[in-house]
Amino acid sequence: MTNKKTKECYFCVNNLEVDYKDTRTLRRFVNFYMKILPGARTGVCAWHQRKLSDAVKRSRVMALLSATHK
Amino acid sequence: MSKTKTTGVTHYEILFIIPNRFTDDEAKTVSSSVEKIIADNDGIVTLREYWGKKRLAYEIKHNAFGYYSLFEFDLEGNKLAKIDTTLRLSAEVLRHQIVVKHAKSEAAIAKEAKIRVKIDSKKAADSKKQEEKTKIPSPSSTASRVGDKVDKRVDLKDLDEKLEGILNAKDLI
Repeated sequence: MTNKKTKECYFCVNNLEVDYKDTRTLRRFVNFYMKILPGARTGVCAWHQRKLSDAVKRSRVMALLSATHK
Repeated sequence: MSKTKTTGVTHYEILFIIPNRFTDDEAKTVSSSVEKIIADNDGIVTLREYWGKKRLAYEIKHNAFGYYSLFEFDLEGNKLAKIDTTLRLSAEVLRHQIVVKHAKSEAAIAKEAKIRVKIDSKKAADSKKQEEKTKIPSPSSTASRVGDKVDKRVDLKDLDEKLEGILNAKDLI
């Protein structure tokens, strides 16, 4: 989760692509219950938020990311 | 998985999990057999990655661990379904996922490099600005701290003198 003060898109600012294998990055945009956080809260732009939600779901299918917090 | 049935060659990426009942060497042979399936369907494997044994985020068919393997390959779109079904039916692969991967052109790579340089220079400038900002108030703050310390010392000395004075006075009485 990014700081409240900086509402810049993490992927735009750092020129990164959303990758479903990069769980360490994806984990930042998911809460304790492994639910995808809204873009308004994390500052991710709409274009990257769409890629992000796809990536998280792909990651869950491949058991890289848990679907629940347990 | 992409369900397109295009005839052109597309760049794909496959990630699959090999169950834990295999040993590491056996998992590698399974991985190469998957590569063979791709090659049999006229696919050209461009990248091979073997991640090794990893803990799964949740159990899949009572497997808590699995061997991850990743390939990138070029394949004609209409042959993808065949690979998908063979992998789905095989008992050696626990789960697999095929994703369309856009191969970057040289121009795109060059553009990205340019953007990266821009971002880095901007970051460096920002950090410099911040340093300057922090530098200006720092001497004054340190001076005030020093002053505080000096004040305290004076106070202690005064206190000592007063105490001595009192003690001496008591002795006199």
